[in-house]
Amino acid sequence: MQNVDAISTDFIEPTKNYLNNGTTLKSWLLTKDHKRIAIMYLITVSLFFLAGGLYAATIRLELLTPESDLLNTQTYNKVFTTHGVLMIFFFLIPAIPAVLGNFFLPIMIGAKDLALPRINLLSLYIYWIAGLFAIWALLQGGVDTGWTFYAPYSTTFSNTYVMAVGLAVFINGFSSILTGLNFIVTVHTMRAPGMTWFRLPLFVWAHYAVALVMILGTPVIAITVLLLALERFAHIGIFDPAIGGDPILFQHMFWFYSHPAVYIMILPGMGVVSELISNFSRKKIFGYEFIAFSSIAIAVFGFLVWGHHMFVSGQSVYAGMVFSFLTMVVAVPSAIKMFNWTATLYKGSVSFDTPMLYALGFMGLFLIGGLTGLFLGSMGLVVHLTDTYFVVAHFHYVMVGGQVIAYLGGIHYWWPKMTGRMYSEFWGKISAMLVFVGFNLTFFPQFILGYMGMPRRYAAYPPEFQVLNIFSTAGASVLGIGLLLPVVYLTHSLIAGRRAGDNPWMLPGLEWRIPSPPPTENFDSTPVVTWEAYEFGEDSGLDLEEARRRDLVTVT
Amino acid sequence: MQYTSWVPIFPEQASTFAWQVDLLYFYLIAVSIAFSIPIVAAIFFFGLKYREREKYATPDELHDSIVLETTWSIIPFVVSMTIFLGGAYVYFEQYTPPTDAMEIYVVGKQWMWKMQHGTGQREINELHIPVGRKIKLTMTTEDVLHDFFVPAFRTKADVVPGRYTYLWFEATKPGKYHLFCAEYCGLNHSGMGGWVYVMEQKDFDNWLAGNTSGQTPVELGKDLFQNKLGCASCHAGGPQQRGAKLEGIYGKEVKLVGGQTVTADDQYIRNSILNPASQVVEGFQPIMPTFKGQVTDEQLNGLVAYIKSLSGVTGTTGGTTTSSPPATNTATNSASSLPSNSMTPRRADRGNSGPGSNPNAPASSNSNR
Amino acid sequence: MADHATTYSDKFVYHEPGLQHQFEDMKQQEESVSIGMWMFLVQEIMFFGGLFTVYLVFRSRFPMAFATGSNHLNVVMGFVNTLVLIVSSLTMALTVYYAQRNNRNMQVIMIILTMIFGATFLGVKYVEYREKYEDGLVPVAGWNRRAKAENSEHASAALPIETRVGAQQEHKTEGEHVYNNPRGEFQWNEGHHLVDEALKEQAAHPDRHFLTDYEKVGYFSNGQVDDLKFQEKVRSFFWIYFAMTGLHALHMIVGLLLMGWLLLKAFKGTFSAEYYSPVEMSGLYWHFVDIVWIFLFPLLYLLGRHFIH
Repeated sequence: MQNVDAISTDFIEPTKNYLNNGTTLKSWLLTKDHKRIAIMYLITVSLFFLAGGLYAATIRLELLTPESDLLNTQTYNKVFTTHGVLMIFFFLIPAIPAVLGNFFLPIMIGAKDLALPRINLLSLYIYWIAGLFAIWALLQGGVDTGWTFYAPYSTTFSNTYVMAVGLAVFINGFSSILTGLNFIVTVHTMRAPGMTWFRLPLFVWAHYAVALVMILGTPVIAITVLLLALERFAHIGIFDPAIGGDPILFQHMFWFYSHPAVYIMILPGMGVVSELISNFSRKKIFGYEFIAFSSIAIAVFGFLVWGHHMFVSGQSVYAGMVFSFLTMVVAVPSAIKMFNWTATLYKGSVSFDTPMLYALGFMGLFLIGGLTGLFLGSMGLVVHLTDTYFVVAHFHYVMVGGQVIAYLGGIHYWWPKMTGRMYSEFWGKISAMLVFVGFNLTFFPQFILGYMGMPRRYAAYPPEFQVLNIFSTAGASVLGIGLLLPVVYLTHSLIAGRRAGDNPWMLPGLEWRIPSPPPTENFDSTPVVTWEAYEFGEDSGLDLEEARRRDLVTVT
Repeated sequence: MQYTSWVPIFPEQASTFAWQVDLLYFYLIAVSIAFSIPIVAAIFFFGLKYREREKYATPDELHDSIVLETTWSIIPFVVSMTIFLGGAYVYFEQYTPPTDAMEIYVVGKQWMWKMQHGTGQREINELHIPVGRKIKLTMTTEDVLHDFFVPAFRTKADVVPGRYTYLWFEATKPGKYHLFCAEYCGLNHSGMGGWVYVMEQKDFDNWLAGNTSGQTPVELGKDLFQNKLGCASCHAGGPQQRGAKLEGIYGKEVKLVGGQTVTADDQYIRNSILNPASQVVEGFQPIMPTFKGQVTDEQLNGLVAYIKSLSGVTGTTGGTTTSSPPATNTATNSASSLPSNSMTPRRADRGNSGPGSNPNAPASSNSNR
Repeated sequence: MADHATTYSDKFVYHEPGLQHQFEDMKQQEESVSIGMWMFLVQEIMFFGGLFTVYLVFRSRFPMAFATGSNHLNVVMGFVNTLVLIVSSLTMALTVYYAQRNNRNMQVIMIILTMIFGATFLGVKYVEYREKYEDGLVPVAGWNRRAKAENSEHASAALPIETRVGAQQEHKTEGEHVYNNPRGEFQWNEGHHLVDEALKEQAAHPDRHFLTDYEKVGYFSNGQVDDLKFQEKVRSFFWIYFAMTGLHALHMIVGLLLMGWLLLKAFKGTFSAEYYSPVEMSGLYWHFVDIVWIFLFPLLYLLGRHFIH
């Protein structure tokens, strides 16, 4: 009989868990189980990441030489656009919320499922449809406008499949909206008795903040893309200046979503990092309320700074100043998080398992990424730096160094729970280090290139930029290896990995109090929560002596 | 700016506010280091000192500290405000063109920059300006968004169709500086660059007056054809060139749209440059822009001389000639005849499906110059 | 291992009819569904908000062109539609009322009435759109009523455009004009005299503003008033009009489908005092669609309208 107050040290897998509860294809495709939906998202998201990564590799290979010799410029333009579209819309935006959020948010609050499971399934279907649409458009010939689709190039001049890809983005937006909607409802109504707002894990707070952004921001990109498609199809005259439109209006509408979108991408990562830092220091996170509120603050302020993408676009100097000021303000909550995470390590008991390595890597890389964001928020400097490789380096630091690393950390952290298996810790650590080193080698030179003046989206560049580009590509190969290794050893763990047991790291979270892999309804009966978040002390119910005894026994 | 063998990390400072931008940059680097070092050091130090000694140890709970939270909220906020103020100050200066500046008009189009000086002098992809004078660019674009970016001056501005945008700078050091397009604009975005030549006042006056180099007419024409006027982008060889092939046409009969036939003599070439719509070759579209007003007579002569040289004619006689010598292959424009300056901005590869070429590579039959 | 998935532990738990498995009790379900619907409506507001923003931006930049376009909308039909929708919201609210009181018959009647009003709205919309089609005001080339040039009494190759305007908007006294629209183009030729008048007024009152800065550039070519450029802006107005009312009509259709489903369920007696949340949620959606129209109507039809000539 499952008892959440005492942590089981069993290694025996329950006979019935969510993975083997129904083995037909139909039971998977028509499932209402949030965990199965999360796994299906995991597979899809990984495929898109792989595809986007191949495009990235192509870019780096082309940029080894100053001329456009590997690809002609038309193809290169399509390649970088596709890299952006796939990575942003089909990987970064869904990854942590749809995989880890879907899987663990209900469990963390003590619920059987999300509030609206069929909406969850619909969200997955919409994502698949959008993805298929995008793939079809790419196979037809792709799009070359840049993921930002700036008018009037995208409305009038590009000969590529702008409308098709735009519609794919439009459809995908609804997947995002429905996920966000589901999370908000779930956090409001499905918390177990005793699970007050301030006992929620910070992962849940982060996803609540993200859900707010998803609901408020995504419809705006939907309508923008729709209007773009209309402009292209029927020349309605709102973005194309040749027929009376305003290209800057497009930029305003586009960035009104796309800036909050970057917070959709990073906030869940920060939520994961909060979990990792706290749990692998075996200590309650320092400044819990501050981290919780800083997530909400980032979500709210994130809507006010879109103009910082448009400092040189011709908007007024005074508007620019307002946006710069607000950009500085929105940086502060992120700084608060960094300090709180660091303070959590103080007087903790820090173990350097693979997930923790990823979390620490996040801290270092997000530090650089966030600080370089200040460079780009400072107007006098951004006039020089905008549209150069400095920006490319900045956003890769926060998106790859931040989000992707947090995603990998979360996957490694919760892998034993999701699959019941443990991966090779040795290879995990190797990959984490390769990713960290490779990533820095790839993108740090790009800061220098940016200040030197190398513009973005260049298929060919002046020869004096070549040495740094070579460094960057060399780093990218290391990064690529580091990112591919987990595919190998994680898959291997499914077949031959050691069974993990319910709580391999002896952690107090609700998700660690249920079997690995969890049963379909998560809990036998609704838990009643009487302990605080990240409660490691005596009230946690963790039987540490038993765990130490267990560790002396080798279990296969 | 020359290609050097060491890894460059900094563009030259060549404008009056370049040092301010660099100062901001260094200030931000200093702030970043000042924040990073303690945090990274703390991570390392805490990670080491408080590493797990006993498995599943439970450290004592630490109480939150409002003092700490407030401190590390206020300090970053204050620092970020200094960054904002510094940035705003420099930005205001960068984007407030002075009233006593020399005006130059710039039009961007796919994929070239066209400049026009107040005195009427026109340039393509190059901008000659005097040192020590305030220059204000009034810019627009004929088609899509572009961006006029000079890294050495530390400034840039988008050009927006349907309206004018402005950029100003005052150059402080004579030299040759990169000009880039910094807003993605389609196929040849990376080739839409050029040079800004900052010259001493007297050299600039000289240049304005039209005395350019000591080149021969053919050299002058070739330079204009391949580099400065963008002719090669349509008239170079390749499966999808848009303009008539010019090798070997001198002295030949040319059939025009509309049926008439003319002889390709000096006057024909001259007319094609100044008024191309009046005599379109059969099988081609009337899309060649006119260069009237953009080329001086001296330059026109150079172009005619060069085009004649493509037919093997080196003399300047204007009449018909005998049979034309065999046209050189499409690699006419390849390595051996290119200027040795490897900084030449790349020409538009309009619709060409082959790979681009390296100007320094040996001539290959596939080169698309 | 059985193939079917079991979602419960084997304990028997009484659950009210309609209770989904993930919920503990009905109250939780109702609360969830309610928050869910509100969140959905919030995002719909942001969706329509984008269009409203575009409209307001262009309206403030080209007031003259937009006002004239607006004057060619059929305000009578728009008003009728407004009334129809408001009444339909009433019947919708009554549906909820009767559901709460276990009154199956009245529920069904109210839903049917709501659907009738909704369908009326769409019908009137159709008539309106058809009128635009006849008048050559559909902003897609070739999608307007084509009339062969030789049928037109005012046929002239040189004069590209003439428009028959809606009944209530008429300055001309010469009787009916006829199309000259063989290709079904969007047609508008009233720009010139309007701008000329504005310029005259401007000259007479130099201290007041009659044209915005955008208009001073946007209606002119080479210093002259350009009819085609004015037409461009009016065409943009009609595009925004069709996009906004079209999107709204789409939501209306979805609403009708929702009502159809609700009707089936109500007829079967699914809803009662204990379980009427789906009726309430459908009602929320319906009211939302109504409110969007309440904003659309004045912004599109009434702003700048000349009721008296």
